[in-house]
Amino acid sequence: MTSILVVGEATADGGLSRISTEVATLARTLAGQAGADISGIVVATDPTVAATDLAGYLPAVTAIADPAEADHVAPQRVASAVLEAARAADYILLGASPDGRDVAGMLSALLGRGVLVNAVGVDWDDGPVVEMSAFGGKLITRSRFAGGSGIVTVRPTVVTAEPAAEPGTVTAASAEPGADLPAVTVVDRVAEASAAAPIEEARIIVAGGRGVGSVDGFRLVEELAEALGGAVGASRAAVDSGWIPYSQQIGQTGKIVKPRLYLALGISGAIQHKVGMQTAETIVAVNRDPDAPIAEFADLVVVGDLFAVGPAILAELRSRSG
Amino acid sequence: MLRIVVLIKPVPDPASAAERLTPDWRLDRTAAPPVINGNDEYALEAALKLVEAHGGEITVLTMAGHGATDVTRKALAMGATRGVIVTDDALAGSDAVSTARVLAAALRELEYDLVFAGIDSSDGVGGLVHAAVATLLGLPYCSYAARIEPNLEARTVRVRRISPVGYDVLEAPMPALVAGTQALGEPRYPSLKGIMAARSKEVITRSLADLDLADGSVGGRASTTQVLDAKQPPARAATRVVRGAPDEAAREVVAFLAERRLI
Amino acid sequence: MVPLNRAVSPVTRGTGERHWNQRHGCYDRACVTATSHPSGTARLTEEQLLLRDAVRVLADERIAPRAADIDRSGEFPQDVRELLAAHDILALPFPEEHGGLGADLLTVCLAIEQISRACATSGLILAVHELASLPIVLAGTPEQQARWLPDLAAGRALIAFALTEAEAGSDAAAIRTRATRDGDDYVINGSKRFISQGSVADLVTVFAVTDPDADRHRRMSCFIVEVPADGFRVARIEHKMGIRGSPTAELEFTDLRVPAANRIGDEGDGFALAMRTFERSRPGIAAQAVGIAQGALEVAARYATERRQFGRPIADFQLVAGMLADMDAATESARQLLYTACLEIESGAADAGRWSALCKLVAGDAAMRVTTDAVQVLGGYGYIDEFPVERMMRDAKITQLYEGTQQIQRLVVARSLLGRD
Repeated sequence: MTSILVVGEATADGGLSRISTEVATLARTLAGQAGADISGIVVATDPTVAATDLAGYLPAVTAIADPAEADHVAPQRVASAVLEAARAADYILLGASPDGRDVAGMLSALLGRGVLVNAVGVDWDDGPVVEMSAFGGKLITRSRFAGGSGIVTVRPTVVTAEPAAEPGTVTAASAEPGADLPAVTVVDRVAEASAAAPIEEARIIVAGGRGVGSVDGFRLVEELAEALGGAVGASRAAVDSGWIPYSQQIGQTGKIVKPRLYLALGISGAIQHKVGMQTAETIVAVNRDPDAPIAEFADLVVVGDLFAVGPAILAELRSRSG
Repeated sequence: MLRIVVLIKPVPDPASAAERLTPDWRLDRTAAPPVINGNDEYALEAALKLVEAHGGEITVLTMAGHGATDVTRKALAMGATRGVIVTDDALAGSDAVSTARVLAAALRELEYDLVFAGIDSSDGVGGLVHAAVATLLGLPYCSYAARIEPNLEARTVRVRRISPVGYDVLEAPMPALVAGTQALGEPRYPSLKGIMAARSKEVITRSLADLDLADGSVGGRASTTQVLDAKQPPARAATRVVRGAPDEAAREVVAFLAERRLI
Repeated sequence: MVPLNRAVSPVTRGTGERHWNQRHGCYDRACVTATSHPSGTARLTEEQLLLRDAVRVLADERIAPRAADIDRSGEFPQDVRELLAAHDILALPFPEEHGGLGADLLTVCLAIEQISRACATSGLILAVHELASLPIVLAGTPEQQARWLPDLAAGRALIAFALTEAEAGSDAAAIRTRATRDGDDYVINGSKRFISQGSVADLVTVFAVTDPDADRHRRMSCFIVEVPADGFRVARIEHKMGIRGSPTAELEFTDLRVPAANRIGDEGDGFALAMRTFERSRPGIAAQAVGIAQGALEVAARYATERRQFGRPIADFQLVAGMLADMDAATESARQLLYTACLEIESGAADAGRWSALCKLVAGDAAMRVTTDAVQVLGGYGYIDEFPVERMMRDAKITQLYEGTQQIQRLVVARSLLGRD
């Protein structure tokens, strides 16, 4: 029987990251199609909460405690701790988050297994059939593994998380170093500005660009994000001008996102930005320039001053919610 | 004296909008003029700044066929000391596993304190080859670097790794592999003096046989994945343009969002 | 000499969003290969391509945004001069042993072309730098070269070429400025007109009559005057139609003493030296003209794809597309002729003078035609300064006038053709 392992990702505060719930849901669907065994594994200083959460999506979860680090367990240690479980599984699924990618790369080298990365869709046909976006979204390719095993990393928001009908079991285990990977120590953690969950996981993103004009102008972007229940994003121009940190940058050298709604304020939509967000389900743009490139691929474009239209949208949203 | 190896990769220029696949679903690397992968340039710039500050040398290493000399020449013009190109017909169509093995083998021939690379590449390999390379070589690995600070006396390196809330400061012993982001800083133009000096800089070529990897264990034939097909995503619906007074426009927008159940 | 601010930080390249700036007629952040024009690549070496592209990116990102202001203010762009110096662009024409890059004529022209595409005034800085230094490079003694070339290569010193006078333009041999020998010096009296960068130069290459009774072409000699100096005065700066940021000066010499050691070549060598200089400097003007034409062509082509009338982009209309095609043909043929001329001149062709005149003739006329047509394509918008083509048209005209009018170029070509040189 084919076996699928989901390597879950714990957040800094010990919970389970959103992307892991999505990957677990996907794994369950695949396992159903394949008639495969599935299980999960998560490593954290205290993995109880994360493991229990993950068990809401999978029939069996191994919780590995690794108290060596203060809170966040480095990818090296995660890879090391899950190595034996990974070796025993045919297919390993991880979220394509920064940590997930690191762990996937390490497992690939340790196990000599192939990887299909940044999946935007996974089907099953005697093995995972993975959809990936190429050329900034211009093409969608479908690939499979040449042999009977492999590692898949899955993009955020590709799947909507759905808990299993019944929660699964959690088995605790301790970290046996499966590989001697060189240590990297966390010397400090610094929180900047108001960034919270990784922007790639957001379902709604309100992004500001050059047209926002200043760091004060970004307050409007934040208010709209809040009113819509979304995250704040930015184009490179805004990041380069210092109005918002690089972690919120969307585009070729920033993050690739696929939210349900992308509201772009004062963003021209040049290709370096476009490749970061063009697969969003709905794109709405506000721009003074009717010829801005974003007008070619947005679903709705408001031609106007974002500082007039933005507050008007806010007012309209507030009046609706009563 | 810092010795840094920077992994660079030629990719079809994303801004040329001319990227495409060959009939057998491989990336057509001749479709658009090759440029250094965007993120690799930030890594190279970080290396250049460090060598300017501490003294030392930079070797750029690329595994590529088409475009390898172009990007190596550009990197040398920016200030790298020498270039190593790994090229072999058998490498066409290599997957991430092969790429990691080949880069690791090439690195084993070099001496270095640090290896830099750009996180992700614009042609799609997904940001994990370098983690695999580090693992194969037993090097500490720090990804998503926004700042890299080596300490030569202590033989350690401090790296700011971008986190969702800001950054973590990591410390690792050297030699280490660090994958960097745009936050490392804008790459410089090659100066004209640099372009002309690049002429006389050393560029070494290695084949799979040179690296003792000619046994079929790496390369297109050994690929662990295969592409089945490619298609264009469904076309988006035509754009609806809204003009008029802000209040009216706002009402239309919100109605549109409600229609799509986004609010 | 102006102490140069070498602390200019290494200029970085934007790999971010490309934003088409209508006023500047370029992308705010250039992406090199995507906008690289593939012209002439068959004959350009890899190094020349890299150099060309490096200058192009710099021009698009740092010079183009300044072009409109330079024209409007009419002020010499010291910042651009410093930028060119900091990036070793002013070092291109000089031998490596004196701190230059030892670039060949084609490479220098590639740089002038790329800069001029963005701003003709800025392109002229390099062109004049090359022109006025040529006498030193061609005929200076080792000591003279060692004295002046390092500062020129480093961009610490600017240099101007002073041959033309109020009554001696095309008829260069008729100059009247006099240099009289007095002991170890020469004393110079007279005035020069229409001297590009005459008011900002640190060195002036002055042609003056040393033997009024000699044969027409043996009357004058060439001197390097270091300024400021007693007896040297900038009498006026002209208000011009175009290249408004380049100060065009009238210079007055009143009993100006210059050491005999500053004389380039022997007495009487001046005219021949000037002609040899033009052979190599006229391609530089041709390059400026090709650059101006290319800049105008790109703005017009882009405009035609965006401007909609009668429900479609005007590029759809054949009358417009035809004009653009003719503009491209004119620009490309001027460019290819220029590149060939550079190769011929560099390889010491016997008819180098003919090549030089041909490329300048064709390019100057191409620039005027292309920029005029560019204004036409933009219609009313071409006439106002919201778009750069009106400036480019005003800038283009000078390429038909200086460094030998088009009529003089024709004389040179005819003489060569008819076996009368």
